[in-house]
Amino acid sequence: MTNVIEVKHLHKAFGTNTVLDDINFTVQKGEKVALIGPSGGGKSTLLRCLIHVEGGYSGEVNFEGQPVNHASKETLQKLRQKMGFVFQQFNLFPHMTVLENITFAPKKLKIDDPKAIEAHAHQLLEEVGLANKANAYPQSLSGGQQQRVAIARALAMKPEVMLFDEPTSALDPEMVGEVLGVMKKLAADGMTMIIVTHEMAFARDVADQVLFMDQGKIADSGTATHIFKETTNPRTQEFLAKMMD
Amino acid sequence: MSDLVQYYPMFLEGTALTILITVIGSVIGILLGLLFVMMRLSKVKVISAIGRIYISVVRGTPSMIQVMLIYYTLAKSLDLPTIQFLGSSLDRIIPGSIALGINSGAYVAEIFRAGITSIPVGQTEAGISLGLSERETMQSIVLPQALRNVLPALGNEFITLVKESSVLFYIGVQEVTAQALAVGGTLYNFIPPLLVSAVIYFILTFVLSQVFALMEKKMGAKYTRLN
Repeated sequence: MTNVIEVKHLHKAFGTNTVLDDINFTVQKGEKVALIGPSGGGKSTLLRCLIHVEGGYSGEVNFEGQPVNHASKETLQKLRQKMGFVFQQFNLFPHMTVLENITFAPKKLKIDDPKAIEAHAHQLLEEVGLANKANAYPQSLSGGQQQRVAIARALAMKPEVMLFDEPTSALDPEMVGEVLGVMKKLAADGMTMIIVTHEMAFARDVADQVLFMDQGKIADSGTATHIFKETTNPRTQEFLAKMMD
Repeated sequence: MSDLVQYYPMFLEGTALTILITVIGSVIGILLGLLFVMMRLSKVKVISAIGRIYISVVRGTPSMIQVMLIYYTLAKSLDLPTIQFLGSSLDRIIPGSIALGINSGAYVAEIFRAGITSIPVGQTEAGISLGLSERETMQSIVLPQALRNVLPALGNEFITLVKESSVLFYIGVQEVTAQALAVGGTLYNFIPPLLVSAVIYFILTFVLSQVFALMEKKMGAKYTRLN
């Protein structure tokens, strides 16, 4: 198995406030990693460091053996193309149709010829169950639909890894299922995924590796079975007890 | 009244010239506005400072003095053509329009700045996370949305520019105010021609505001189109 992502001694502070403290972990090809833990524990910041929308940290982040944190602008752009990122707030482009949202970056970056990109986009819309919304504008869609478009948009770049930053936290409860459904399908297809989530059942069912983050540290880690059944770490137990209420 | 009617070609010519200098001024204003807002928002401190200085100097000095300074500077340093066009010579129309553009550029830059900063940072993050460069993200993701948000303010600025173009009277550009004063001089009565020019300005700005209202409506409708 090859390491797709390696994080070594990652440290980040906002001023004197340490938000990430000596983070170490690796993600192998095809692996699903869930980042769980209380709010403010550093999960989202960590995820954002991986794709370098958040900079100013020390330590190493390597993607397929290449350092992300010392990369030139051009290399960084190339690396980002291989990492799909799904935001909590969807961040669809409101001035573009659903189809344009999906095809804009692949066309601009010429990853394929335009016809193939459009065909791929339609196929992705089919897969996320929104084939009939290609010409709609994001504002006319529900949150769940917008997030599914956002997933399709990230997938259109044919990434090696998908990063999800609390993808269902901004959704009405009845829409969480449709987004998790798409993510489960993606996991079953073998996509490498790192998911920041508060959906414990989802983490338990899908993750190969679970990292419990608390106060900027990985306080506990292991397989889903370890974290959800066997752990003796009191912080993890306390957190999970609260979440399962 | 019949006295006034015989001067209608002067008013027509003046109106055409007012429209011309306003159009040139606003085109230059948009281009300079874009340039200076990018400088103003630049991470390079020197570039950002230049942008800020331009904006505050232009906003802090009277447009009449700007126009005269630019006219006398350009007229002295360049050999501009003296060809007559719509009753004025090009060596006055050209510096005058440029001065209007330089003036408007500062206000447009501030309008754009407000528009750009109103776009959530998530839009930029979404762009770069897809592998787009910061420049492409600014051009294709942030600016089009910012432009839509600032359309009403931009409309106001161009309406102001239509009226502000009357300061070119001071450097001998025969736009509609200058023509009205000329007609007033021959009639020994300034009130009727000035009223005519006021009506002309009102019609121009009214049409412009309607055009902008239409654009706003059209762009707004597009955003909410269902499937």
